[in-house]
Amino acid sequence: MRIAIVTTFPPGKGSLNEYGFHFVKFLQTKTDMVSEIVLFVDELPEGEEYSFEQSAGQIPVRAVPCWKFGAWDNVLRIRREVKKINPDIVLFNIQFASFAAGKVPATLGLLTPWAVRLTGVKTAVLLHNIMETVDLKQAGFGGSKIIESVIRLFGNIVTRFILKADIVAVTIPKYVDILVEKYKAKNVLLAPHGSFEEASEDVPASAPTGAPNIMTFGKFGTYKKWILMEAFEKLQPSHPTAKLVIAGTDNPNVKGYLDGVKNKFSHVPNIHFTGYVSEEDVPKIFNDSWVVVFPYTSTTGSSGVLHQAGGFGRAVVLPKLGDLEELVIEEGYDGEFFEPESAQSLADAICRVIDHPQRMLEIGSRNYLAANGLPISEVVDWYLIHFQELLNRKN
Amino acid sequence: MDITHKVSNSINIIQLGGRFDAHEVAPVVAWLKGQAEAGKVNLVVNLAGVNFIDSTALSTLVQGLKHCREKNGELHLCCMQQPVRVIFELTRLDKAFSIYTSEEEATAFQA
Repeated sequence: MRIAIVTTFPPGKGSLNEYGFHFVKFLQTKTDMVSEIVLFVDELPEGEEYSFEQSAGQIPVRAVPCWKFGAWDNVLRIRREVKKINPDIVLFNIQFASFAAGKVPATLGLLTPWAVRLTGVKTAVLLHNIMETVDLKQAGFGGSKIIESVIRLFGNIVTRFILKADIVAVTIPKYVDILVEKYKAKNVLLAPHGSFEEASEDVPASAPTGAPNIMTFGKFGTYKKWILMEAFEKLQPSHPTAKLVIAGTDNPNVKGYLDGVKNKFSHVPNIHFTGYVSEEDVPKIFNDSWVVVFPYTSTTGSSGVLHQAGGFGRAVVLPKLGDLEELVIEEGYDGEFFEPESAQSLADAICRVIDHPQRMLEIGSRNYLAANGLPISEVVDWYLIHFQELLNRKN
Repeated sequence: MDITHKVSNSINIIQLGGRFDAHEVAPVVAWLKGQAEAGKVNLVVNLAGVNFIDSTALSTLVQGLKHCREKNGELHLCCMQQPVRVIFELTRLDKAFSIYTSEEEATAFQA
């Protein structure tokens, strides 16, 4: 089958680029079912271009840059390219803010699965979050209750359009329940997120050495707040050599957030900002860390970093928030938890890990087993089986 | 997990009981691999005794289905308890697999 994927992809820095990268990496190996892969990706800044690792015998990948974060005409441009290439199926690797930070272009972009389906091409959406579980204020979309209500209304409408795809996959059981109960959807399915890294035979068994390295990874400013810096400041007197690593960039919705944080906490030593972490640097960032912290004040359900932390056998500190906690328990992960709005609670949770090496190793080992239970290479097979079933329906 | 094997209508069947999860998949993986090596491409997995199934176990069945289909065969499932069927429905794998209510029906496809 000829598969097209609407996604972000490295060196593009949009959210879900890593998921896109790992999904495609393994999709390329499925030569028994796939004949061609086309990526409808976002346009890169001047001077950058997409390139793909291509091992012998793998399916070639072609990138078609045809949309731009924040643009209003993404739906038309993607639809036009789909009609030109005419794949058997188009998979959308998206979340609610994939196409833009602004409300109107974001909404228009999310109409794309429906617009593509109207061309007669089969469509599948991997939806990484749903509107019902997004805290709009925390996500930078709020403002007033009236605005929030209007956004929710549009969110409901957009969700109904997304559900017009042939199938919609989500990674958390609660999302399936919401989409089925509220929207009466019949085309929603639960698909495992999968682990990015290939499992090695041994569970990482030894604690990292040197000074405590506390790390957080991702895009910052909306769900991930400076509560972690406050917590770090609180634990410094008792852990003067501890290091805090902020790995990642601003969320596109909140440009300049990390610069603001740097200024606000310039008096606190041992905070390191890495900027964008390229794919080859990811293992070192995780392997050097003693604990990976999720300083979310709300959650969108994105669990990629948790799976990554697990893949590297890292201990994690997580907020007591609905679907993260649910994911941790349901998928066999472990961690220390903190109250989402309390820096002291976060500092205490971090100390419960870094001051207790045995607990740190125990959490890391459990997370390693959980993350490596189902590699993304196998998750890709689930999608292919669903795609095949969809295409059989047509035929 | 309880595992038994049998042959009915020349179809190889594996009967599973108890929890079918990440800690218990190894013998099923080995059985599927053995069947593939022996050239058996039409198989039945009887889940009558399974009261819990996780994503790793589901993935094991997906891999089995994929390998059978590559050789123009099929992996059939039968006798699911309700909690297990719910998981298949949640993941929509009930659309991908042929699922039967009895072992006789599952083996009859080739008889």
